[in-house]
Amino acid sequence: MADHQAQLVVIGAGPGGYTAAFRAADLGMDVVMVERWDTLGGVCLNVGCIPSKALLHAAKVVDDAAAMADHGIAFGKPRIDARKLRDWKNEVVSKLTGGLTQLAKQRKVRVLHGIAKFVSADNLQLDNGETIAFEKCIIAAGSESIMLPGLPEDPRIIDSTGALELDPLPKRMLVVGGGIIGLEMACVYSALGTDVSVVELLDSLMPGTDKDLLRPFLKIVKPRYEAIMTSTKVTGMRPTVPGIEVTFEGKNAPEIGVYDRVLVAVGRRANGDQLDADKAGVEVSDSGVISVDKQMRTNVPHIFAIGDLVPGPMLAHKATHEAKVAAEVAAGEKSHFDARTIPSVAYTDPEIAWVGLTETEAKEQGVDYDRTRIPWAASGRALSLGRAEGFTKLLWDKKTERVLGGAIVGPNAGDLIAEIGLAIEMGADATDIGQTVHPHPTLSETVAFAAEAYEGTLTDLYMPKKR
Amino acid sequence: MATTIDIIIPDLGDFEDVEVIEVLVKAGDTVAREDGLITLETDKAAMDVPSPENGAIEVLTATVGDKVNSGDIIGKLTIEVGDTVVIAPAIQYEPTGDTTVLATPATADGKAPKTGGVQTLVVPDLGDFDDVEVIEVLIANGDEISEEDPLVTLETDKAAMDVPAIVAGRIESVLVKVGDKVSKGSSLAIIEAVARAELPDVATDATIIQAPDATVVLAPMIPEVVADTPAPAKRQASQSPSPELPPINEAGFSRAHASPSVRKLARELGVDLAQLNGSGAKDRILHDDVKAFVKAILTGQAAGPVGGGLPKTPSIDYSKFGEIESQPLTHIQKISGPRLQASWINLPHVTQHDLADITDLEARRQELKGPAKKRGIPLTPLAFIVKGVVAALREFPQVNSSLSDDGGSLVLKKYIHIGFAADTDQGLMVPVIRDADQKDVYELATELAELSAAAREGKLKTPQLQGASFTISSLGGIGGTAFTPIVNAPEVAILGVSRSSMQPVWNGSEFAPRLMLPLSLSYDHRVVDGAAAVRFTTFLGQKLSDVEDLLRAAP
Repeated sequence: MADHQAQLVVIGAGPGGYTAAFRAADLGMDVVMVERWDTLGGVCLNVGCIPSKALLHAAKVVDDAAAMADHGIAFGKPRIDARKLRDWKNEVVSKLTGGLTQLAKQRKVRVLHGIAKFVSADNLQLDNGETIAFEKCIIAAGSESIMLPGLPEDPRIIDSTGALELDPLPKRMLVVGGGIIGLEMACVYSALGTDVSVVELLDSLMPGTDKDLLRPFLKIVKPRYEAIMTSTKVTGMRPTVPGIEVTFEGKNAPEIGVYDRVLVAVGRRANGDQLDADKAGVEVSDSGVISVDKQMRTNVPHIFAIGDLVPGPMLAHKATHEAKVAAEVAAGEKSHFDARTIPSVAYTDPEIAWVGLTETEAKEQGVDYDRTRIPWAASGRALSLGRAEGFTKLLWDKKTERVLGGAIVGPNAGDLIAEIGLAIEMGADATDIGQTVHPHPTLSETVAFAAEAYEGTLTDLYMPKKR
Repeated sequence: MATTIDIIIPDLGDFEDVEVIEVLVKAGDTVAREDGLITLETDKAAMDVPSPENGAIEVLTATVGDKVNSGDIIGKLTIEVGDTVVIAPAIQYEPTGDTTVLATPATADGKAPKTGGVQTLVVPDLGDFDDVEVIEVLIANGDEISEEDPLVTLETDKAAMDVPAIVAGRIESVLVKVGDKVSKGSSLAIIEAVARAELPDVATDATIIQAPDATVVLAPMIPEVVADTPAPAKRQASQSPSPELPPINEAGFSRAHASPSVRKLARELGVDLAQLNGSGAKDRILHDDVKAFVKAILTGQAAGPVGGGLPKTPSIDYSKFGEIESQPLTHIQKISGPRLQASWINLPHVTQHDLADITDLEARRQELKGPAKKRGIPLTPLAFIVKGVVAALREFPQVNSSLSDDGGSLVLKKYIHIGFAADTDQGLMVPVIRDADQKDVYELATELAELSAAAREGKLKTPQLQGASFTISSLGGIGGTAFTPIVNAPEVAILGVSRSSMQPVWNGSEFAPRLMLPLSLSYDHRVVDGAAAVRFTTFLGQKLSDVEDLLRAAP
């Protein structure tokens, strides 16, 4: 007889896990949720999206204040109390994770703490020895930062979790990896006064992103950062008393640099292979990824998998949607994960966001598309924010005139991209978007402008008529 | 019997010293179960404390501004025992002797602590069911019962279930009778429970307060007891749907002009949106389009899976009525059965009956039969009928056709291959005479005989069973006056032939004896209309009456 019995066990209490557990409980299932850490919320709430956004907000306040110096309001150099800032960030996190505990309680979701591993296709065992018998299971065990192999053990070499601790603020920092996570943390540290260098193995930052999106971003960050080294390889790290000595190989890079702190942000790895899933008969790839069907079922029909450890981007908003599908299917509903697009956002300054088809993909796939791009210099709101470097870009299907994809660079791009996501899901065309009255003066008008530009009805810019 | 119970603040979760912001009733008021008595406010929310019972407020001590906690007694309620629907707050309340002991709140697993004292046995969580009828009361006042003994039997429209006791003891009073409607938390009986010695006394830490009534001590509420009773709705929720997903063209589905809500509906119904044409603006697929598509499939107007929604014939245990023997269907029956059923369900069948005058034909056949037999040819009437049918199919090409898969066009066949139903030991088989229009009566007769023999011997090869464009089912050798054959779909018609008989036929001046052959043409009404069908049988009748024409060699 197992120590715990449940109709549904959810492994992991991140955004995917808790969403799945709560949805299933709301559908009448008897749910146990297992979490390896003390607090609920997973990477996103504890050491990911939420704390990083708190710090990014702080960074933005610093930058915005500094930017106003040119326009007649000078605050002087900010005095930064890293400890207080950290406390505030932790407070934000604990408010959210505490809220989750409360939500679990209200729904009578039983939360167990420990590392769960499969014993069979209907039994789990925790590292404290307790066993859980289940009828159905949702695997939502997430992902972990990858550490480069062969790095020396040194507290000054950190991952994104360590970077959120701001302990202490370094004078000079190297960010290894020019992806979204690395660039967000670069943004925070730079605003807080650290000299930041970024090194990326590939030839551009945020690999895979349309190149034009990076231009406004680089225009802002290049003067701020000490160095941005693309096509550059880190060949070694050696801890010394003054700092971590890093050697590089690449045409834009020095041979050697010494940094107080090195943030390794080279990607994340799925945790699918840490659960003994094979004992339940669940197939896991060599990279820890578990394949699922459109109902989030693994190859074992009563075991589901969602979030970072299934194929697709490792994003909380993808996990939560998959979670609802898995919970609903587990409860007997006929749900499917049917999203046509999942938006991506880099919460850097400026923000970069895209959804649907990218131009890079369109070219690869040979899609016959049209593009309209509205520079934010045409937006009164952008100018009054002092941020005219951004733009809004939409891609159109030439035949149906429906929007295929969109990208936005500039402050609040992450919020603005949601409208384009809705347009894609609804199959909206240029007329639908252009005829929707957007409030003035807002940055959202630039989306409508891009539609009007495609229709040839835009008056806020002079553009040659399309048709 | 009237009695008095305490009004208790229910479990307030993590909140303590919660302020009373409003008092909604006063002493003497009559209240119904769940009526609000007082309103509390935490820094998160305001909430009403409901009345635990129907009754009259005897005392209400709470006043605005008071701070209260879980378990506080704020008044007394006079209730009629028997009029008993009790909602259980999450507090255990156990009177023993002259004092009332407030137990610690519910234990972690939700089971009531197994201690002694007077307790109320209540209905456990019934899932989604409310107002469930008591169909049997299994206890009486004074009964000694054990833990797990059934108290009452409840019946929902789904199932009957027993409610077992969670404690052993002596029934003080039964609070329900047959026919009562109960819900989760309704009181069933009051029991003087026997304490289980091995369990620690959970009440030791509890506050001791004055008993409200020393003579009749009621323990009105025990929350969500009987953890072992199944909760029907939950069990239902856990039942797996079939893991097989309907076949959907995912690439096409992902391009369909349909909003997320329409896609959700399509997924639920297993509709492949790639197969739909939208009726909305700019060909957008709407909810109604999805529903219309499903409806069309169910009514056979569009291609799609069939039969899933059909009611089943009743399943009966025949051995109850006498001796039976089970005989497996033959291989051929197993194959032909579903095909016949598919045709019957999918095709709107109509059967046209007619009579053909074969007096001359039969006379001539009798003359020719002997010489033919010498050449080894059994010159049967069927050979002449095939010949006549060939002529009719030439005249009415739509009868020699099939409907396209999407139901949008006719496939007219330039060949005439005639299938004929042959009765064999193994079941019904339909061998095919290829290019029947290129054969004369003797060739047809020869081939009919050869194929029939092969069918009886089970020696037919697959190609000899394929490609028919029209089928004849002749039962004339056995009997009958008419029948309604089932079209061998995707063919669109089948000719049934019954036994010919001598009948008086009015020839204009008198009744003459004529040999009449009953013809029954069943046809797919989507393709062949009634007028065409009767023209077909009339034409065939004329052909069969002109024997010399039939005997003319094939072109």
